Amino acid sequence: MNKAVKLAVCFSFLITSTGLLAQVTPERLLNTEAEPENWLLYGGDYDSHRHSDLTQITRDNVKELELKWVWQNRAPDGASQKFEATPLVVDGVMYTVGAPNNVVAIDPVSGRLFWIYNYTPSPEARLCCGRVNRGLATHGNSLFMGTIDGKLVKIDARNGEPEWIIDVASPELGYALTLAPLVIGDKVIVGPAGGEYGIRGFIAAYDVESGDEVWKFNTVPGPGEPGFESWEDPEQEAWKIGGGSIWQTGSYDSDLNLTYWGVGNPGPDWNGDSRPGDNLYTESVVALNPDTGELAWHYQFTPHDEMDYDATQAAILTELEWQGEERKVILWANRNGVFYVLDRETGEFLLGEPFVSVNWLSGFDENGRPIRALYPTEEGTFIMPNNQGATNWYPPSYSPVTELFYMPAWLDTFSVYTKRPVEYTPGQQYVGAFPTMAMPALGVNPLNQRLPEEGLGAILAINPQNGEVVWRHMMTNVTDSGVLSTATNVVFAGGREGHFYALDAETGEELWRASLGGQIANGPMSYSVNGKQYVAIASGGGLFVFGLRE
Amino acid sequence: MKFQLQGAFKLLISCSWWLVAFGLSAQEHSYAPSDIENGRGLYQANCLGCHGNDGDQVEGVRLSSGRFRRASSDEDLIRLIREGIPNTLMIPKDNLSYGDTRAIVAFLRALPTGGALVVEDRDVAIGDTARGEALFFSNQTQCSTCHGVNGGGNLLSPDLGNVGATRTPGSLEDAVLDPMREVRAGQRFYQVTDMDGNRTEGLLLNQDTHSVQLLNGEEILSAFQKSDLESHGFIPSPMPSYLDVLSPSEVADLVAYMISLKGEQ
Repeated sequence: MNKAVKLAVCFSFLITSTGLLAQVTPERLLNTEAEPENWLLYGGDYDSHRHSDLTQITRDNVKELELKWVWQNRAPDGASQKFEATPLVVDGVMYTVGAPNNVVAIDPVSGRLFWIYNYTPSPEARLCCGRVNRGLATHGNSLFMGTIDGKLVKIDARNGEPEWIIDVASPELGYALTLAPLVIGDKVIVGPAGGEYGIRGFIAAYDVESGDEVWKFNTVPGPGEPGFESWEDPEQEAWKIGGGSIWQTGSYDSDLNLTYWGVGNPGPDWNGDSRPGDNLYTESVVALNPDTGELAWHYQFTPHDEMDYDATQAAILTELEWQGEERKVILWANRNGVFYVLDRETGEFLLGEPFVSVNWLSGFDENGRPIRALYPTEEGTFIMPNNQGATNWYPPSYSPVTELFYMPAWLDTFSVYTKRPVEYTPGQQYVGAFPTMAMPALGVNPLNQRLPEEGLGAILAINPQNGEVVWRHMMTNVTDSGVLSTATNVVFAGGREGHFYALDAETGEELWRASLGGQIANGPMSYSVNGKQYVAIASGGGLFVFGLRE
Repeated sequence: MKFQLQGAFKLLISCSWWLVAFGLSAQEHSYAPSDIENGRGLYQANCLGCHGNDGDQVEGVRLSSGRFRRASSDEDLIRLIREGIPNTLMIPKDNLSYGDTRAIVAFLRALPTGGALVVEDRDVAIGDTARGEALFFSNQTQCSTCHGVNGGGNLLSPDLGNVGATRTPGSLEDAVLDPMREVRAGQRFYQVTDMDGNRTEGLLLNQDTHSVQLLNGEEILSAFQKSDLESHGFIPSPMPSYLDVLSPSEVADLVAYMISLKGEQ
């Protein structure tokens, strides 16, 4: 055999055995239901359903799950951080990110690594809530990662080598990228965290090949931009440091050609005196044209927020029969304690129903605007839910089988919000007086000696038709876990206690659990290789993968 | 819930009151009240998210103890805050100026309690330390039967050897007269009853959805699966009230003794 023939044989063998050269095309991202063995997008699909169509693991056999492998993140400055990423699985290869920006390609059957790419963030990086990353996006043979020092990195998925690194925003001013990017067509879309540092937030799209910025939507509009009138301070200075961060990956409706993103809190967080007005588009969902970044509509969940109720949740897209009419809707469980249904063509408010105890609003007006009942005061105001919220960025799930919405929740929490003077200094936190909380914001203490009335955690199933809670799976501690539902009516989720659960999607009954020893602060996902289904979840600094006993 | 709210709310007024009333730690470290007040705000903005209202939310770290594993001097603390601790969630706070960091240290040095939630903004009578010490070890109170002072006592009750450095007189008076007013995490008691009706009580060390870990009445570590139990839950602290046992002047003496306890020299 001559050299050319040998090369051709090797090449075809490589394609057959590993699939490493398969391209992730825009069409594949649009049709993820055709390949349930893969997990190509952060939310599983553009609808962010986090629902697996795989059927090998069922309610009957889920008790047979056993640990197949563990990958421990050993990156410097990473092992002690929260593991917030949801892995991708592409044609027999898993890609994920350990904190802070430690990318790995893993054999999803054995857990052995193909390669590691350790990005070392600048010491200028500053974050409110941990040096974390929530995942990757993929296009062609490349991966995209945001970094905590405000960079967007394109990585060759075959060898882990960076193809380019571009500056998105300045870390020394508090900008950081913690979200998983979203690829739509030939663009990769991101937005920065940093609402606690007086950033001016934005959502921006970059060309997947060149890294050139294609468009930028300011989540805090400036003079001449729609929404600027909602920043009413006479000096017209507040918008420049108005917050509006992006923590969570958006969703996409290709029929409407709209992408939906949640926007975080205005700054400063807990004293809005310097920023009178509604402070658009903070605490809103915005619907953007992914080709141009043009705003189609918005809905603001918490106008003039002073409770840090970031609208940083995943937008779940589905169709509902609503009062006799088929509607394309968004399902949204907000940090402010209310479950919303919105028409995603127009932004029309259809439903707002609290899923926990809330007292900051007394209802909604005819336009779906919340009627505020309470505000922070200099004396302190008791407000439910607490500052960390009734839920947060933790991604929920929607099952088209049960037609239920599954979400993590913090029940019966409260904070006392006290208004204090606050001044902006570049690069320093710009927040105000931190509200009191009986429940710690971060789950760093493994000892729980709290009283039940200080708050509890739960996984909830909500009926989107009316917002009613169908079942609760209670936990003694709160949960920062995402949720996965499956076509076989199994729901997977965890919590700070480190327990990873399989629940009956119809009743919430516990079917199986594993104790993983570290807090779960990410979304479970499922994939299949060689006909075997697996479920992956990170706990502590490790990624744990389960499959059925053989 | 309301009880917790009141306690938490008091955190915000506690430190300034303590400084006005006693100024102990602050004077020892020569911090101006303005530094401490500024440090309080900076702590809330930069530290509270992880360390919590009471400075005790990170495992093994109690900021109000006045003792730090990695820092002995205030300059050590300033450097630790600005440089962080590698491979931990304690990230560098190099965005803070030296002066701001020093203000945070001033605030930490001035923290009055290991759990500031119980601080009262009121005057408390302070009696005679020697008489208080005698009372503490007397058969009349039997305080020392449970509580050690740098040793002694039992493992179920907190050692009070450093209580004067970590609690205010108001909270100590509360603990003597109305101990159920606030029972802080780490001092709460729990009772489990198995399916045969056997009861075990002890200090709650930890719990999760499925299990509970106690130090039982025999000072033995005990764990229970909640699914094996007929019932379980918090119970009142065994700490008795001395409201009808001691006179006001005796209470003031006990308080005087306890605030004199600043840890082993």
